[in-house]
Amino acid sequence: MSRRLALALKLKQILRRSRLVQLGLIVGFWWLGDVTARLTGLPVPGGVIGMVLMLGLLLAHGLGPASVRRGADVLLADMLLFFVPAVMGLLDHREFLGTLGLELFGLILVGTTLVMAGTALTVELVQRLVSRHAS
Amino acid sequence: MPPEAKMLFWPAVTIVAYLACRALYRRRPGWYSSPLLTTPVVLILLAVMLRASYGDYLLGSHWLMAMVGPLTVAFALPVYEQRAMIRRHWLALSVGVAVGSLIAIASGYALARVLDLSPELRQSLLPRSVTMPFAMNVSGHVGGLPELTAVFVMVTGIVGAALGDFLLKWLPLRSAMARGALFGMGAHGAGVAKAREVGAEEGSVAGLVMILAGLANVAVAPVLITALA
Repeated sequence: MSRRLALALKLKQILRRSRLVQLGLIVGFWWLGDVTARLTGLPVPGGVIGMVLMLGLLLAHGLGPASVRRGADVLLADMLLFFVPAVMGLLDHREFLGTLGLELFGLILVGTTLVMAGTALTVELVQRLVSRHAS
Repeated sequence: MPPEAKMLFWPAVTIVAYLACRALYRRRPGWYSSPLLTTPVVLILLAVMLRASYGDYLLGSHWLMAMVGPLTVAFALPVYEQRAMIRRHWLALSVGVAVGSLIAIASGYALARVLDLSPELRQSLLPRSVTMPFAMNVSGHVGGLPELTAVFVMVTGIVGAALGDFLLKWLPLRSAMARGALFGMGAHGAGVAKAREVGAEEGSVAGLVMILAGLANVAVAPVLITALA
């Protein structure tokens, strides 16, 4: 019995310390989400289902944050690396080098200004209303 | 180049170029030195010189792109750690994310109509304000091209991080919540980095808004975008 307990403690220690094991656990959640999405035909990506599963376990105290923190930090700290391959898709879209590219840039500039100003002013308004209600 | 060499060459070059660009960014932080801009520029120049296509590039780099899935899962940790803030400011956060997402999709749609863009291009533009893993997923679902969306998301992040400084000066924003939401909703990852420079609270609000906007868009945007099309 005590040997089994010692083994469980040892496993827990490995999980707390090893980045690789934690990464494996996170990939496991993703895989589980992916399988769920495919089996149920939900129009939600596997990664999002995996995230909801992991968040649920964290909130239910089924999983300690220390068991995934190192692994999650590896992915989050260098997330830009994983976006680079998709941006390389530009190689197949040389048409963006001309006027079309400029037009799209203008669209993004105007659209993003509207999104940022609209969001910030909305949040500011809600915050002022809430604090007036509270006082 | 033989296919086996290509398989190893492109992912290796991608990682080396990324690390070099990250080092450069740490020395000279700015919108122009963001690794999301500099790394693809270096790699695209190299690919053009070697006459490599996107297919050649993806052959061995596919797994790097697939890491976007586990990355999405990893976002559960920051959401968990910010649960107290979500509880305290749930109203401002949810209204802000809803309004921001609506403006993003509606403005993208209207401007694409004015410019008379092809439907495929338009659908790829709509989820541009959302963080990359979520945006690429939404784009695929609504008939856009995920790799085009990736480019638009990148440009949006860089433009938004630069625009944010100007907007902060012009808009009457008293609360850190509003300043953080501005960056998180408009410029996702690049905006979060920028918001962290403005203040700690702005930084964590921006990160939270970015994730919530991503989740909201995955759930609602396909319905909304399909209705618009």
